[in-house]
Amino acid sequence: MQPFELLQPRTLEDALDRLADDEEARPLAGGTALVVLMKHALLRPERLVNLKRIPALQGIDWSSETGLRIGALTTIREVEQHQAVRTWFPALAEACHVVANVRIRNLATLGGNLAHADYQSDPPAMLIALGARVRIRSVSGEREEPLETFLVSGYQTTLEPGELVTDILVPPPTAGRRMQYLKFTTRSAEDRPCVGVAVSLGLEGTACRDLRVVVGAVSSTPVRVAEGEELATGKVLTPDLIDEIAGRAASAVDPIGDVRGSPEYKRRLVQVLVRRSLLGSVTEVSA
Amino acid sequence: MKVGVQINERELELEVATNSTLIDLLREDLGLRGTVEGCGVGVCGSCTVLVDGRPVSSCLVLAADVDGRVVTTIEGLGRNGALDPVQEAFLEHQAFQCGYCTAGMIMAVKGLLAENPRPSAAEAKDYLSGNICRCGTYEEVLGAVATAAASSDGGGD
Ligand SMILES: Cc1cc2nc3c(=O)[nH]c(=O)nc-3n(C[C@H](O)[C@H](O)[C@H](O)COP(=O)(O)OP(=O)(O)OC[C@H]3O[C@@H](n4cnc5c(N)ncnc54)[C@H](O)[C@@H]3O)c2cc1C
Repeated sequence: MQPFELLQPRTLEDALDRLADDEEARPLAGGTALVVLMKHALLRPERLVNLKRIPALQGIDWSSETGLRIGALTTIREVEQHQAVRTWFPALAEACHVVANVRIRNLATLGGNLAHADYQSDPPAMLIALGARVRIRSVSGEREEPLETFLVSGYQTTLEPGELVTDILVPPPTAGRRMQYLKFTTRSAEDRPCVGVAVSLGLEGTACRDLRVVVGAVSSTPVRVAEGEELATGKVLTPDLIDEIAGRAASAVDPIGDVRGSPEYKRRLVQVLVRRSLLGSVTEVSA
Repeated sequence: MKVGVQINERELELEVATNSTLIDLLREDLGLRGTVEGCGVGVCGSCTVLVDGRPVSSCLVLAADVDGRVVTTIEGLGRNGALDPVQEAFLEHQAFQCGYCTAGMIMAVKGLLAENPRPSAAEAKDYLSGNICRCGTYEEVLGAVATAAASSDGGGD
């Protein structure tokens, strides 16, 4: 790694000032993406602003009125193990549990995962299915944005120089909401996803009130299967209807072929995994 | 920059370069050569050490970031010349062949047992799935985990 200056702010305000002073300075969170890029000289920042010692960016709060607030510097392992996450958002705990290996999850932060915006990631699809928003700060103020529009394309977000993700916000789940995250890997158990499918299902009796189906790792950003979601509204999710939604999902995606699978293979997997996750959610209902 | 860190129960004040990683600090500055680098990008697990009791890939941690932390490496296991129960269990099961992954594997098992003193086989597999053994001694490693977990102190310190 080439030498660099490491700034160690203790407050969010100080960090934002440092970033405002130098447009080229890079925020450093867990370092699991940044250090790898720097080791391979794909990035050569001259100044890093370490976010790890800023208490305001840490921690998870839950309230049944406002939902979940996850500080951007919370590690993926902390999210996975947090009691409120496990109770209210079991599929988010799962989408974090299946990230990489335990050593990376102990270092990698949720904010870093979203800001890095690698398409082969697990948490973003699930967070979009749950309607998550990101809170962003700079010296000139604060803004909030749905994660869905925050992710612009591979490695690209709406973050401007000087802006930091400070929190990830997840609205409280409606009563009896079903959710699932299914990850499929093709190389080893702890590999990045070949395909990930996230579903979140709100019910009115046995009928679907609202459904979100989000496919991760096949395009530069997670893909929402809007057509399939609409098809479900107001109906009981019978096996036939589920098959139809899975078919819509397969035609909604335009998969990137990579070392983890060809476009055709991934398209087929999308169909299988959407079907499987919806069947799983519905089975949970009758159980 | 200055770093104050406890490594294997010794309090140290060290001067580190910003671009040095924890494994550089351990091997080059302190001569603790038990921790070895494999892939250098967090995939293989051979450089696993504990920071504040949790396993991490020392190849991806900046040395500057262990300021104020407690680091345990393979050299920090065992007391008064006796091996740690996890090390004993690895010997008993011959849970290694070439030995390159062993230090990291043992540190990962220490992390596992500290969190979960009686892991099921499925839990142990899940936790250790990111520690790769090219000789394929996984069955023996899982046997060693079961033995260490059953030993009176659970091997978890
Ligand atoms: C071996 C390995 C396997 C992996 N497997 C998976 C997997 O299976 N699934 C998966 O989803 N991911 C996987 N990942 C990716 C991992 O989740 C990300 O590297 C990690 O979440 C990034 O977070 P970080 O805190 O380490 O970010 P850093 O590396 O510190 O930063 C990443 C980028 O985000 C910027 N940044 C960080 N925090 C902020 C912030 N708060 N505001 C603004 N910008 C910020 C940094 O400037 C940098 O550009 C894997 C990574 C490794 C190394």
